[in-house]
Amino acid sequence: MNEKMGESLSALMDDEANELELSRVLAQVSQDPELRRSWMRYNIAQHAMHGSQAAGLDWDISGRVKASLAAESETDTEAAGVGFKQRMLRPFVSLAVAASVAATVILGGQQLALIGSDDSYGSGRSIATNASPVGMLNSLGATTVQANYGMQAVPTLEPANSAAYQELALQRQRKYMQDHAEQAALNAPQGLVAFARVPQLQE
Amino acid sequence: MLSSVPMKFLRWLSLGVFLASTAAGANAAACPDGDAVALSLLDKMSRSLRQTNYHGVVMLQRDGDMQVMQVSHMVSDGKSSERLAELTGRGAQVQRSAHPLACIHPGHRLLRSEELLPGESCGIAMHYRLAVTPGERVAGREVIRIMVDPRDMYRFGYVVDLDEETGMMLKAQTIGHGRKVLETMQFAHIVYSDDLPEFSRADVVHKAQHVVCDSQSAPAQYPITRAWNIGWLPRGFTATEPSTGTSDRRTYTDGFSVFSVFLEELNVAVRAGEGLVKRGGTTSYTRGMHIDEQPVLVTVIGEVPANTARMVADSLDWLQ
Repeated sequence: MNEKMGESLSALMDDEANELELSRVLAQVSQDPELRRSWMRYNIAQHAMHGSQAAGLDWDISGRVKASLAAESETDTEAAGVGFKQRMLRPFVSLAVAASVAATVILGGQQLALIGSDDSYGSGRSIATNASPVGMLNSLGATTVQANYGMQAVPTLEPANSAAYQELALQRQRKYMQDHAEQAALNAPQGLVAFARVPQLQE
Repeated sequence: MLSSVPMKFLRWLSLGVFLASTAAGANAAACPDGDAVALSLLDKMSRSLRQTNYHGVVMLQRDGDMQVMQVSHMVSDGKSSERLAELTGRGAQVQRSAHPLACIHPGHRLLRSEELLPGESCGIAMHYRLAVTPGERVAGREVIRIMVDPRDMYRFGYVVDLDEETGMMLKAQTIGHGRKVLETMQFAHIVYSDDLPEFSRADVVHKAQHVVCDSQSAPAQYPITRAWNIGWLPRGFTATEPSTGTSDRRTYTDGFSVFSVFLEELNVAVRAGEGLVKRGGTTSYTRGMHIDEQPVLVTVIGEVPANTARMVADSLDWLQ
């Protein structure tokens, strides 16, 4: 790898490469093992810099839970005029939002259905028995919220429910994408490139 | 510059006429809209993808993100061996070896005019409007462009650029609603050669499954206790392998698009709902619902619009 190539590669990594540099690197990369190694090293370093290890989790679960809670506390502020009893009940709802997002992220397959009898989220237990995390959130919304806040509070839970399903969809995408790629690689013109769509390739 | 366009036009036109007159094009000759030329080119593309020796660098662009990978494809003794190595991300590799050329999977059968079923002589042209135009250069090679426009709303469109000389697909764009480019795959560099290039060592090497052509599908990872069925498929989609009835996955292809359906049985009630994740041209749709009081989770993943995924999930039913 000559110096010029090193510069071009570095510019590419910093998103500052012009088209000429990009095509120079791309034309050379299959023939120059040293360039290839540098490229991969830069990539790994860049992943690490952005807080997502190249071989680790590349998205932040706690961030999403925090975001759900933040959304909840905004509603709290808006609803500052509600009575003491109602305010006391708010944390239950917040916890359920966080719990349901976390649960759909962590649990898989058959375990998903067992969450209703799980005590890990304490307060949700008596209300959410016999429901999946997706259902749990919704039944909290339908029972507790309606009983204590009236219809008004229901919309604050609706996005949380779709957020839970959203997490579930993301989790299922990660679980099934490679199985799908096995078939797509054999049955579409892009061939093995189908595997490049898999979020994290497994052996 | 001005004179090069008519020259190029004449070149691909004459190539098209030549292809249309070959055996592969004969089946498609009766099809409307001048599809015969395009069908012949798709037939040539499918063969070229399986039979050519090449290696190079491929870029995949989705959602403003670019992945770069090294690829190689070699044929010897009637079998192909191919390899893909990520040059971005984790540097994982995928290998498939000893894939018999005689083993033509359903997706490629649909692209090859001579493999068509009786009564489907227009093949893929029944579901896509095809148009051949001159293309620009890709990876330094002259290309012919085929515009592949869906005839219904259940599949995406494609723009494919084929190497004028070899028929290799050098670039493929997936086109969504409003002519939005969802995904672009293209060669940045390609070498037609029998020499195997050097690949770096990788921590993750996945051996791609090789489904033997005439066998049953692989055993299900999580078998379903009851046989199930998909009641609705967009026209032109066919199963990629024989189904075992209780397998937890089914996959379908129309030659360009592929989608898979995964079914999970849950053992307690689920509140109905749906979640959707889109990445480039890939849709991942998950739905919680009850079929005959049995709670299930259905996931449809593939290169199809969300609406198609939803309709397929909706049509799931138990057999009997």
